[in-house]
Amino acid sequence: MSAFQHPLGTNRFFVLNTGRTTMQAISMESETKWSTRYFNSVAILEMNPEDAKELGVKDRAKVTSDYGSVVLPVKISKRLPRGEIFIPMGPWANFLIGPDTDGTGMPTLKGIKVRVEATTEQPTTLEQLLKQLGAKGLEVYMEDLEVKPGEKKVVENVVCSFCGDLCDHLKIELDGNRIIRNVGGCAISVSKFLNYHRHRVLKPYIRKNGRLIPVDLEEALDKAADILVKAKYPLIFGLSSTCVEANEYAIELAEILNGVVDNTSVFCHGPTALAVQEVGAVRYTFAVAIHLADLVIFWGCNPAEAHPNHIARIVMRKGKYVKGRKERKVVVIDVRKTPTAELADLYIQLEPGRDLEFITALRMAIRDLEIEAPKVAGVPREKVLELAEMMKSARYGVIFFGLGVTMTGAKYRNIVGVIRLVQELNEWTKFGLLPMRGHFNVAGANEVSLWITCYPFATDYARKFSRMAIGVTSATDLLASGDVDALLVIASDPVAHFPRKAVENISKIPVIVVDAKWSLTTAFADVIIPAGFVGIECSGSAYRMDGVPLRMKKVVDPPSGVLCDVDILKKLIDKVKARMGLGR
Amino acid sequence: MTQILIKNGIVFDPINGINGEVMDIAIKNGKIVESTEIDESKAMIIDARGKVVMAGGIDIHSHIAGPKVNVGRLLRPEDHYLTNKPHVLPHRRAETGLTVPNVFRFGYEYARMGYTFVVEPATPPIKTRHTHEELNAIPIIDKAAFVLVDSNWIALDLISEASTELLAAYFAWLLSSTKTLALKLVDPGSDVAWLIKGKGIDLDDQIPGYDLTPRDIIREIGNASQLLRLPHKMHVHCNRLGYPGNYLTTLKTMDIVREIKRVDDGPALHITHVQFTGYKGDSWTTLRSGGEDIAEAMSRNPYVSLDLGQVIPGRPATTMTADAPFEFVLYHLTRWKWASADTEVETAAGIVPYVYRKRNYVNTIQWVIGLEVALISRDPWRIIPTTDHPNAGPFTDYPKMFAWLLSKKAREDDMRDMSQLALKRSALPSINTEFTLYDLAVMTRAAPAKLLGLEKRKGHLGVGADADVAIYDIDPREVEISKNYKKLIQAFKRTWLVIKDGVIVVKEGEVVKTIYGRTYYAEPVIPSDLEKEVKRVLEKKFKEYYSITLDSFIINEEEIRNPVKIKISTQLTR
Ligand code: SF4
Ligand SMILES: [Zn+2]
Repeated sequence: MSAFQHPLGTNRFFVLNTGRTTMQAISMESETKWSTRYFNSVAILEMNPEDAKELGVKDRAKVTSDYGSVVLPVKISKRLPRGEIFIPMGPWANFLIGPDTDGTGMPTLKGIKVRVEATTEQPTTLEQLLKQLGAKGLEVYMEDLEVKPGEKKVVENVVCSFCGDLCDHLKIELDGNRIIRNVGGCAISVSKFLNYHRHRVLKPYIRKNGRLIPVDLEEALDKAADILVKAKYPLIFGLSSTCVEANEYAIELAEILNGVVDNTSVFCHGPTALAVQEVGAVRYTFAVAIHLADLVIFWGCNPAEAHPNHIARIVMRKGKYVKGRKERKVVVIDVRKTPTAELADLYIQLEPGRDLEFITALRMAIRDLEIEAPKVAGVPREKVLELAEMMKSARYGVIFFGLGVTMTGAKYRNIVGVIRLVQELNEWTKFGLLPMRGHFNVAGANEVSLWITCYPFATDYARKFSRMAIGVTSATDLLASGDVDALLVIASDPVAHFPRKAVENISKIPVIVVDAKWSLTTAFADVIIPAGFVGIECSGSAYRMDGVPLRMKKVVDPPSGVLCDVDILKKLIDKVKARMGLGR
Repeated sequence: MTQILIKNGIVFDPINGINGEVMDIAIKNGKIVESTEIDESKAMIIDARGKVVMAGGIDIHSHIAGPKVNVGRLLRPEDHYLTNKPHVLPHRRAETGLTVPNVFRFGYEYARMGYTFVVEPATPPIKTRHTHEELNAIPIIDKAAFVLVDSNWIALDLISEASTELLAAYFAWLLSSTKTLALKLVDPGSDVAWLIKGKGIDLDDQIPGYDLTPRDIIREIGNASQLLRLPHKMHVHCNRLGYPGNYLTTLKTMDIVREIKRVDDGPALHITHVQFTGYKGDSWTTLRSGGEDIAEAMSRNPYVSLDLGQVIPGRPATTMTADAPFEFVLYHLTRWKWASADTEVETAAGIVPYVYRKRNYVNTIQWVIGLEVALISRDPWRIIPTTDHPNAGPFTDYPKMFAWLLSKKAREDDMRDMSQLALKRSALPSINTEFTLYDLAVMTRAAPAKLLGLEKRKGHLGVGADADVAIYDIDPREVEISKNYKKLIQAFKRTWLVIKDGVIVVKEGEVVKTIYGRTYYAEPVIPSDLEKEVKRVLEKKFKEYYSITLDSFIINEEEIRNPVKIKISTQLTR
C-alpha cells in the first residue's frame, strides 16, 4: 500500500456516499461483474453540475481518499447537493473505503471524506483494480448454459430470489429450460430470471500454478476439505443469497472446524441487529402496513431502485382501513433526492452523517420539548416539527429504513435512536419500524444464525461454542486484520464489497468459492465449485424482510453435474468429518 | 433394530394403572413390546433395579420455537454469555442460552430431564414455516405446535358471517396447511384491538371492527373444535392476563364451556398458564392469590383442563407472548427492552425481559397461585405443571417445581426467602398436600398425552407405545421424597437413562447421541363440498388480506423433518 499524495489544486473535501442502483443490479444479474455493462453502471461518479464546473471536471475525475485513489467517468446529476459525490457500490467505491469498522463490523460506506480533481488519466479498469488488490489470476471461463426449447410451461406463484421483498406472485414461463418470460417481477427480477443461464460457472476449478484448471467435483471438494481442515481458523462467509438449509449446514461446518461464520448482514443491517440487542424492536409485516398505515416513511433507503416492486405492493395497494396511495402520506428522508423521494408528499433532505441529530430532534419534538436551533442536520426546525406532528397524529405509521441510516455517522446508535423514537411514538399511536433488507435471504441468514448460535451473525466457534464479539469476530475485521487463514465463500462476492485492506488479505489465504456465476472473488479463488441458483434451480426456504418465511421454488433443473448449495455443503461436511475422524 | 430389555425397574405408568410395580419393559423396533418378543441373548439388558421407570415426559406448553423465540435470542445476548457448553462431536452440538437457548440446548436439556415431547404453544400462521424450521432443528424430542386463531381476520369474518361448519372447515384447512396440532387463543380478540387501537380488551368488550366480543370468539371456536373433534379442543390464554383482578375473567372464561355444544367428552377448553390470570385484588399492592377460587371452579367444572405457568422465584425470564398489549404494559413496568411484532391479519407478539425476585411481594403471590391451584384441586389428570417457558421461569427448573408439588418441606424451605407478607395473605403455607411419584407420572406423562389425544402412542409404557422411556436414579422405597426432596431434584434434573424411539440418547444425565424426533400435526377430514367452499372463500380473502399468495402460505410435508399426520374423523363427515 502506498501512501497517497494529497492532490494539489483543491483543498476542498467532498463527501462520498455509496449505494445500490437498479442499473448496477440489472447489469450484475444479466452480465456479471466482469462485463462492460457492469463497468458502465458501477464505475461511475455522480456529482453536482456546479461542483463539476468549479473543478473543471468534464467526463472524468480522480477521487482520492485516505485509502486509495481511482479515476472514474463522471455523470453530472442535479440530484446531488453540492459537496457530495455518489459512487455505486462496487470495487471502485470499495477502493476508497477504510477497513476500520469502529467496532460495529461494518466499514463506513457513506459519508467518506474524499478529494476530487479533474484528470486526463484513463478511468481505472477492473483489471487494474484487481491486480492492485493482489488477485491470484484474472481469467474467467464464463459459459452460457445450453438452453434447449422443449416443453412449454408456466409456473405460478414463483418467489423472486433477488431482493428482500421476496415477491411471491411471479409467473415464470418456460420453453424447455429457457425462461422466456417473468410476469410480475420488476426489471431486476426479469434480468435475473431471463439471464439465469448466462455467464455461469459450470465446472469445478482448482488453481494450479496460478491458473484455474477444470477438475471433477470430487477433486474440487477434496481440495476444499483439505484447505478447511488444514486451516487453524477458517472463515465461512456469504449466505444471504442462498436458502435457510444451506445456512444451517454452513454453520455446522464452522462448528466442526472451530472456525467462524458470518453472513453479509455484517455489511448492511448488522448495526440494526446490534441496536435490537440493546433496546428491542417494533416490527410489522407487510399486510399490517397495507391495511393500516396512513403514514409511510422511507428513511435512508431507495426502494424505487433497490426494491422496485415494494412501493406498488405496499404503498399503492388498497387496504381494509386505508384505501391505497391517496389515503397515505409518504415521507422520504434521505441525503439525496432519489427516485423514491420524487414520489414523496414530504421530502426531508438531511446533511450526510447527521441522522442522529435529526432523530434526537424528532424525539424532542414528539415530547413537546423545545428545539432551539433553527436547523437540525440541515433541516429547518419547522420541518422537524411538521414531521413530528404527522407522526403523532398518524393512525398507524410505518418506517422502512435502509443503509443510509445504518451506515452513516453514528451507525448503530442511529438505529438505537430510531427504535427508541418508534417505541416512544407508541405512547401516542401505533408505529412500526422495518429494515429494508437487500439480498433475498439475508433476513433468513440472521434467523438461522440465531436459532443455532443465539447470535445473528459473526459467530465464532474457536472455543467450541458460539460467541459473537463484534469488531473482532466479524468478517471485515477478521479479514482486515489478517486473523483468518482460509476463506469459504458461499453465494457472495466479498471482493466486490469489502474494503481494500480486507481484500488484500483475501489474496494471501486459500479461498474456496461456491457460486453460480463468476464473481470478482473468483479471481482470488483456489477452488471454485459451481452451484445451482436457489429460487430458480434449487428449492429452499427464505425470509422476507419482515420475517415472513417463504418457500423458494425450483422452476428448472440445475445444469448437469451442478449441485445445489445444500448438497455441496453436505458433501463438504462429510469430507471434513472424515478427515477429522468424526464419522457421520 | 436394537432390542432393549429394561429389567426390574420401579414402573410408574398411570395409563396402564401401574403404580410403582417392579417389572420389565421390553423394546423392539422403537416400540414397547411384550417381554416374550425379545431375544434376551441379542437384547441390550439394562439393570434398572432401584430406579424409577416412566414414559418420556410431555410438555404441553413451552415456547421453544418460532419467531418470538428467535427475537428473544436476538434481544438478549446477556442471556447467553455464561451458559456455554462446548460441542462434543459427533455426539453433541454446542449449547448456549438460558431463557432463550439455541435449538440444541432445548432438545438436550429436555432429554436430560427425561422429556421426549414438547409443544410450542403459539405460532402465528404466516410465520409457522419459521416455527417448523426451528422445530426441525431441535434434536431428540418430538414436537408439535398450536396455531394462533383468535385475532385472525378470516376467522372473525367467518364467525360474523358464516356457519360454524364453514368456520370449522377453515380451521381444518389451517391446521393441515400449517402442520399444527391444535388451536390457540391468546387474550382472545385483543390483537385486533392492539393492531387498530394499541390496547387489549376484556371478555365482554367489543372487538374493534366486528360486532363480536372475546366471549363470542371463544364460544364459536369452541363449537367449531367440537365439530372437528379435535383431541385438544382449544388452548386459551385468558383476557386481562397480568392485571390484578383478572381471576374473575378466568372464572368467566371457564364457564363458557357451558355455552359450547359439546360433542365429545373430556375437556372442551384448556386454560394455559393459569397463574398469570389468577390474580385477586384490585391493584398490585392489594394483590392476592385467586388460586383457591380457581381450584374450586375446577372441581365444579369437569370440562376444563389447565396448566400452571408456575413462577420460579430467583430466576430471570424472557416474557414472550402473542398478548402484545400485555407486553406493552409490562414494558412500562420494566422500562428496559421491548420487542413487538404486528403480524399480518392474524396476530401480534411482544417480548420483554423480566426477573422474578424471591422477596418481591407480587412475585411471591405469583409463585403461590400456581401451587395453590395444583395442591388444592388435587386433580393431576387435569392440571399440568409448566413454567410457560420462558415466561414464568426456564423449563430447566421443572425438577424444582416437582419438588414443591411433592414435598411440603421443599415449599417451606423456599418460603423462608420469600415475601412473608405475601405468604401471610395466602393459603399455601397451611396446605399439607403432597403429590406422589404416581401423581407426577400422571401430570407429566399420562395426562398431557391424553389432553393432546396421543395416549395411544405417548405417555405410557404399554405394548404398542413409542419406546420413549426415562429412568431416574431414585428409589422411592429407600428415599422418602417428601423429606429428601433434593434427591428428587437431582434425579429429575439429570435422568439416569433416556431412550427415544428405542435409541439410548442420555446416559447418566448426559446426552450421548444426537437424533431427531417427529412433528405431529392434525388433519381433520371434512366433506369435499365444504372443502370447496372454504377454498373459494380463502382465495378471495387471501387476495384481500394477505401480502403473500395462498400458495406460499401452505407448508408442505417435505418441509417437516419426520412429520406424523393425525387424521381426525370429524362430526362434519358423519
Ligand atoms: S422487488 Fe425485489 S423481490 Fe420483488 S421482483 Fe423486484 S427484485 Fe424481486
Ligand atoms: Zn405461553
